[in-house]
Amino acid sequence: MGAGRPTLYRGGLATAVASISTTVYWQPSVWSPSGRRYCPAMTSDVGSDSDNPPSPDAAHKTIVRLVAGGIGEGFDRLMKLSNALEDSDTDPASTQIAPIHADPRLMAILGWFSELPAQTRAISATTSRALYPVTRVAGVAWDTGAYVARAIGIAAFLEGLTEPLLTAIAEERDRLASVGTAEYARGRVLAVQAFEQSVDGIMGYIGDSDELGELVREQTLGITGSAVREIRETGAAADGLAEGIFRRLLGRDQRAIPPKPVGEEV
Amino acid sequence: MSKDDIHVLQDRSAGFVTRLFAFVIDLAVTAGILAVGGAIATLVDNAIALMGLDPRIDMTVIYFWMIPVIIGAYYTMFWSLTGRTIGKWFMGLKIIGVDGRPPTIARALLRFLGYGISTVAFWMGFAWVVIDDERQGWHDHIARTWVVYDYARRKPGEIYDDFLHRADVSG
Repeated sequence: MGAGRPTLYRGGLATAVASISTTVYWQPSVWSPSGRRYCPAMTSDVGSDSDNPPSPDAAHKTIVRLVAGGIGEGFDRLMKLSNALEDSDTDPASTQIAPIHADPRLMAILGWFSELPAQTRAISATTSRALYPVTRVAGVAWDTGAYVARAIGIAAFLEGLTEPLLTAIAEERDRLASVGTAEYARGRVLAVQAFEQSVDGIMGYIGDSDELGELVREQTLGITGSAVREIRETGAAADGLAEGIFRRLLGRDQRAIPPKPVGEEV
Repeated sequence: MSKDDIHVLQDRSAGFVTRLFAFVIDLAVTAGILAVGGAIATLVDNAIALMGLDPRIDMTVIYFWMIPVIIGAYYTMFWSLTGRTIGKWFMGLKIIGVDGRPPTIARALLRFLGYGISTVAFWMGFAWVVIDDERQGWHDHIARTWVVYDYARRKPGEIYDDFLHRADVSG
């Protein structure tokens, strides 16, 4: 028994137990009335001895008890049974050994499961060895086929079939591109129109809005008023400068501010 | 006198430079009016010739003799009605009489005649402003008027209020 077998046994445990249980339950006749054929020296594990082989019901109960005792416990018991079976196989003299008190079919199933990985590896190796020449042959056949296809014009024939398809695809691509270009140009025109409409709308809104119109007028008057005010102030300053020069030339007193009109109070 | 002290100029006599600027503007305005009038007179003269009317009627000659009247009407009407011509309005000036109000039509006519005297005397009547104690030209002395700064009434609403005030005072 190898180290990987416990895992394998766990995997096959349910199947084995179900099979045995079904067999025992539905076909109790497989158990010989005496039980000696399979269990010539039954121990007390099944509730009897060599002189008193277990009845089918007792065997059934034993299996149920093994399973009901827990997977781990049942597994250990099955392992012991399996080891005993192997020992009996390798020792012809022990074919009549007493500790064997399990169904050989169960052991066969367990053995099959235990050998499954090795069998799988063997099958895989065999398959690989078998498929290697096949793949080589297939590759050579493919290359040969391609060469022959080119030689006899199949490739050209296929190209003749695909050429219209490619041409149709290119035409469809060009058509979509032209549609896209037209849509792009149309979008630009619409954008310009939308911009102009927006400007017209904004100007119309400004024109219709009394508040905005008043604001624009105030701003315009403000700018114009600032310029006019600057001209007036510059003129007034020039007035004082020119008057100061002439009054100095005439020897008159300078005055800081212009005179007020003489007459009635203004 | 600095530009920062401009607020103290309200209702004080205006100087020579500002009045000169205003006079130049008025000259441009009157020149435009005369140009339009001359064009109209020429059109009327041509129309008379085309219609075969009395060829002795020369509208351009008549218009030439009307030029002083047009100019006089421009000044006197503006002076008496608003106290300022377009040039004086632009420069923030106004003309007042001894009562502080715009001159009457008669006084405005007298002032316009003073314009003629000041002009005939080689413009000395206008230049007199720069040396006069009250910044008056000869035409101002003749008509007893003063040209004063009127910066406070710059906004249209305030000008309108000024009209209302004067109407209330005169009423």
